[in-house]
Amino acid sequence: MQPEEKDAFPFVEDSFTRFPSQSNIYGLCQAGEQELLAATLKGKVVCFRYQVLQQKIQPVAKEVQFTYIPVDAEIVSIDAFNKSAPNRGLVVGITFIKDSGDKATPFLNIYCDYEPGSEFNLESIAQSCLNLELQFTPFQLYHTEVHCEGGGRETVFLLSGHDQRIHLYKENASLHQFEEQPVERLFPELQELPSNVLWLHMLSVPGGRRFSTYGCQNGCVGLALVDQSKPEVLQSWRVLQDSPISTVLLFSLNSDSPSTTAEEKGEEMGTYNLLVTSTIETAIVYRDIQEHGMSHPVFLLESDQWDAVLCALVVDLDFDGQKEVLIGTYGQELLCYKFQEQLHSGSERLFEMVWRRSFKSPVLSITYSDLTGDGLKELAILTLKGLHIMQHSLSSTADLVLQRLTRRLPMLTAGSELSSGHDSQDKADTVRAPESTYQPPPPPPN
Amino acid sequence: MRSLNYVQRVSLDFTGTLFPHAICLGDADNDTLNELVVGDTSGKLLIYKNDVSKPWMTRTCVGMLTCVAVGDVCNKGKNFVVAVGAEGWFHLFDMTATAPGKADSVSQQDSLCFEDQKPCFTQHIPANTKVILISDIDGDGRCELVVGYTDRVVRAFRWEEPAESTDLGSGQLVLLKKWLLEGQVDSLSVNPGPEGLPELMVSQPGCSYAILLCSWTTQDFPSDSSGEEAGSTPGSDGPSRDVILHLTTGRIHNKNVSTHLIGSISRGSKEESSKCGLFAMCTLDGTLKLMDSSEQLLWSVQVDHQLFALQKLDVTGDGREEVVACAWDGQTYIIDHNRMVVRFQFEENVNAFCAGQYTCKEGRNSPCLVYVGFNHKIYVYWRVGLERMEPTNLLRILDQRPTFRGLLEQLGLDGEDPTAVRKLVADVLYKDGAVQTP
Repeated sequence: MQPEEKDAFPFVEDSFTRFPSQSNIYGLCQAGEQELLAATLKGKVVCFRYQVLQQKIQPVAKEVQFTYIPVDAEIVSIDAFNKSAPNRGLVVGITFIKDSGDKATPFLNIYCDYEPGSEFNLESIAQSCLNLELQFTPFQLYHTEVHCEGGGRETVFLLSGHDQRIHLYKENASLHQFEEQPVERLFPELQELPSNVLWLHMLSVPGGRRFSTYGCQNGCVGLALVDQSKPEVLQSWRVLQDSPISTVLLFSLNSDSPSTTAEEKGEEMGTYNLLVTSTIETAIVYRDIQEHGMSHPVFLLESDQWDAVLCALVVDLDFDGQKEVLIGTYGQELLCYKFQEQLHSGSERLFEMVWRRSFKSPVLSITYSDLTGDGLKELAILTLKGLHIMQHSLSSTADLVLQRLTRRLPMLTAGSELSSGHDSQDKADTVRAPESTYQPPPPPPN
Repeated sequence: MRSLNYVQRVSLDFTGTLFPHAICLGDADNDTLNELVVGDTSGKLLIYKNDVSKPWMTRTCVGMLTCVAVGDVCNKGKNFVVAVGAEGWFHLFDMTATAPGKADSVSQQDSLCFEDQKPCFTQHIPANTKVILISDIDGDGRCELVVGYTDRVVRAFRWEEPAESTDLGSGQLVLLKKWLLEGQVDSLSVNPGPEGLPELMVSQPGCSYAILLCSWTTQDFPSDSSGEEAGSTPGSDGPSRDVILHLTTGRIHNKNVSTHLIGSISRGSKEESSKCGLFAMCTLDGTLKLMDSSEQLLWSVQVDHQLFALQKLDVTGDGREEVVACAWDGQTYIIDHNRMVVRFQFEENVNAFCAGQYTCKEGRNSPCLVYVGFNHKIYVYWRVGLERMEPTNLLRILDQRPTFRGLLEQLGLDGEDPTAVRKLVADVLYKDGAVQTP
């Protein structure tokens, strides 16, 4: 019998919320700092958050009554963002198809409250709606920040459709409402698409540039480096894979470190990668895209073993400053890959699976954010049947925090021998890692 | 209410049908690791080990098995497997003898050669059995066998054999006492009374329970078993005196509703356990109660599911046992002593349920939930342990650590400012990692 479950799954399930109807891969988004919005097929949107009641922390999943979603509507996608500074108000977009029997009509509803004081209140945002009828079947609803003419920034919605186009929805400040604008002016890389775009992702990089990538139904993956100020396409790449692309994701392997200086950051600019997951083939990471474009693929072995890959996320789950690749499959598995430094030249295996965990239904979407308000992020897994919140093991994470705080001390108060020596006895039990750079001398035996 | 979704499970093959009490977890072969024992309606006794889907041992018994148990019923310092049929056939199996040392290395292929072995001992006891219990019910340090019957009778037996004999064949079960109750007996349990002595409790319909007195301890001829037997036959005034019925207060919709009970729920710490024992009750109309033997109610929970099985299990590993109740539709409630509830929905209708320690993976006992559905499968959820019952966050855990406040002070941070602490924790976790890695 093969080792069935790799046991290093570092999370504990904290709660599970069952949904009245199924969701899909566009059905989960973050709304504000500590809330998640999940959309289900039959027109219901659930807001998940933790609330403190009588000194107790409780997970709460509540349905939010978004107005102008008819009873016979089927929700396709949901997205939310906070407006760019200085406004910061919350905007929620929901696409749905109203099927009243003879003809199905797609809509995009944009919810946003302009009353001062209620810009962040989900209940009141849900009541102020802009209803836009669409001429195409909507897919992913995405948002990104763009540079405006005046030097300011603005966050806009991008909606891909079955008409082989991506549509831009931008706020008209004077009218206080969103309207469709031509996508070419702000996103020159998104014209003349080869097929319907299933997934879109953008990443700002230093130097006022951005990487922009999309994955299509016909297996085409497009990547472009764009100068945001003009805007102008500096470089672009395209590859054709054999099956529909489910996710494209741009990332740099290292999470930001506070001590990295500016020039080091310039060096790090060298390591951007592109993760491409498709419905049949093995997931691929294209390494160093700014150097090599899409010519250095690394395969995530076995990622095609559990049916189609539906979603992916790249975050640092083990607090070592290096991100891991999470992949969710229709085969009800969540896979975690870690980048292994190449030991010998010629060995191609750069990403190794470190653990996997089964769920009870297909894994549709993943987010990683601080829902409990303690600085530690939680993994939210949207499956066909509901929403799982996975929390890091708290006792071992607490050990790690104490250990790292202890390590910070000598950096701050170098030389205060007395106080650190005084503490050493208390910490002896919490400092576990032997490689700890700060090792107080053991107290003399008496 | 906190809700969870356990996923780590193994499925075991089981083609028969069974009675709800014909399943139990216990150390059948005395290797300190627990096995799953199941008896079906055709008289087959199946013992499952680890995560192997085929039974490790199969035995054939006479009649429909209604209840199985594992325990030191003969007081020989080792466990036997007991299987009792509805027709009254009592079977005793010694799994240590039949399983040689190689049992661990040899898996199910070799189990064929052990099949159809006869039980070590059989005896006919009164028929219509429903539920059994192997436990010390009179406080003499020796185990007794208690059998509950569908005709509202409970009988207690003791294993007796000549002192010099080593063979099981020379011993037999001797009736100690018979009690007649007013309502159906769905559970038998032992719970420490207010004085710390074990009390035999049985559930009674309508969320009630009765304490059955072991009168042979007060009479002066415990060894004269034949006289005892005569004294407790129907017609004597014994039964009415020796059954003390307790009705619990509260909202009872139906005084005939089926009720289950489990006692001796561990409180964890030593000094507390000397106090009176904790027991829990559940009813088919969804009432759950935790009480102690001085009849004090600790909590009561009302749910809208039909609870048909009640177990205890320490899921947090702190020594305190949680109450686990399962409904026909698979909804399972795990409730701790402070009334924190964790729910789990098993996706099928449940035929029988049990919870306890079982060695499924990793070669050691771990808390497990066992469900028998109607699709020829037994599902063992082998990773059901939780770090804690109540949801919490990292800051609360850190606040309980003695060094945390001091460290914050030394870093010049106000521990009362939650946003600053939150930012510090986030920085320490998600940014300091890059500094340390070479």
